[in-house]
Amino acid sequence: MSSIAYAAGLSAAMWRRSLNEVVRVRGALLPTTVAPIIFLLGTAGQFGRLSDLHGFPTTSYLAWVLPLSCLQGAGFAGGAAGANLARDIEQGWFDRLLTSPAPRALLLAGPVLAAMTRALVPTTVILSVGLIMGAGLSGGLAGVIALYVAAVWFCMIAALWGSTLALRARTQQVGPLIQNGVFLAVFLSTAYTPLPLLQGWLATFAKYNPVTYVLEMARQATVTGIPPSWAHTWPGLLALAGMSVLFGVLALRQLRRVTL
Amino acid sequence: MSATALDQDAAVQARVVAALAARALRSQLRRAQFLLPAFLLPLLLLAVIASGTSAARHLPGFPSTGAYVGFVVGGTLVQGALLAGLTAGVALAADIEGGFFDRLLTAPVQRVSIVLGRISASIALGVAQATLFLSVAFVFGARYQGGVAGVLVAICIAAIAAGGMAGLASAIALRTGSLSLLQNLFPIVFVFLFTAPAFFPRALLGPTLRHIAVFNPLTYVVEGIRGALHASAALGDPWKGLVAATGLLLVTTALSVLAMRGRLRAL
Repeated sequence: MSSIAYAAGLSAAMWRRSLNEVVRVRGALLPTTVAPIIFLLGTAGQFGRLSDLHGFPTTSYLAWVLPLSCLQGAGFAGGAAGANLARDIEQGWFDRLLTSPAPRALLLAGPVLAAMTRALVPTTVILSVGLIMGAGLSGGLAGVIALYVAAVWFCMIAALWGSTLALRARTQQVGPLIQNGVFLAVFLSTAYTPLPLLQGWLATFAKYNPVTYVLEMARQATVTGIPPSWAHTWPGLLALAGMSVLFGVLALRQLRRVTL
Repeated sequence: MSATALDQDAAVQARVVAALAARALRSQLRRAQFLLPAFLLPLLLLAVIASGTSAARHLPGFPSTGAYVGFVVGGTLVQGALLAGLTAGVALAADIEGGFFDRLLTAPVQRVSIVLGRISASIALGVAQATLFLSVAFVFGARYQGGVAGVLVAICIAAIAAGGMAGLASAIALRTGSLSLLQNLFPIVFVFLFTAPAFFPRALLGPTLRHIAVFNPLTYVVEGIRGALHASAALGDPWKGLVAATGLLLVTTALSVLAMRGRLRAL
């Protein structure tokens, strides 16, 4: 068997095992789906009039926050992969995997791939709820593809971040820290209003927060003022690639440090 | 029983409530899993909302309260009260799962004192939270036209609301005894919060939310807090806030006492 086929087979086995979490554990997807939906409906109702402001790129605030909630749901799904890894470490399962002849990086690849698959569920459910509530798909198919790419890739980054913390802390108590990290990354961006309407410290922070550009990419699906174009896509892709390299290196470095 | 014996019994139970409240408060302040949601999360949301939505001041009809943070801090107090209450329920569920609650039941104390101790701790926590949040907002530019009296009334309303939410969370903890269920109730906090005009004036909420808000007691709590802080009847009536918070406290305390009785019957 070639090394590529071996790696693919092993990753697929780990991917299937991680997906069992979704299939066999009743309600495993609820926290990653329900919380963003509550946030979506609450924020749209609470701050809906912000879209009346001059310079707001859409007349529907729901359309503005819908991609944010999709990203949030996908990010939480990625964070859950880290929390599950922490549980596997605490219960000794991960140590047994480490004694196997499998390359260590592949032990991480399966759960990360499963998280990316799992992210499709909250993204689709949240998007459907938003559409039912009246947000339109102004960006058409190209916008929807941009939204899904942004959400699934962001989930991968959240999974790498979660895995890094899980490998370092080796305890399930790290779970809230993982999810709060995702929460902060998303909210310290253009979560509520576009950059020109942000004021104070958040305006500066959001400008340098890569998630701002990932959100811009995702918003091509529903925000009329951000039509699908390469100009709205490449900064998001660059931000995702940069975060992937950073958190990928951190996760692998942490994985190499694990001793039996 | 003579009047003196009754007085002595009341004094003993008051000491029991105080001791249990002190223990609950210590455990909530010592453990990061309780401390972070109750103190850090509301402050983070205050920072993000105060900066992220401050352009709302330019909307026609948005009330003037000086710095925008002075308007949204009322919502932060309510969010803190909700989280303080919920963490009380989480701590109680942890006591039930860990067996400490069963040991308490074998002690010669009235069962209702156990519930009251937990709720009293949340009221004290509510005072600490509200004081911290108002101080932080003040440092970042909020000014309270209601003066010291207004600030004290706002703290009082927030603390009673925290006790009310603790009563509700304790009732759920006593009814189910499930720590994981209580931990998964965190999103519900945001349902209560977002169906009240926590961060936006009621007149500027979406039409559906505006109708729902009428039935949420936290609407009157947050408006009462704003009215007290800024000495403005247009922002809210502090008396209505006090009545809503006290009503919430009484109803949820009764619910938790009933849940306690139900739990004892099942033993």
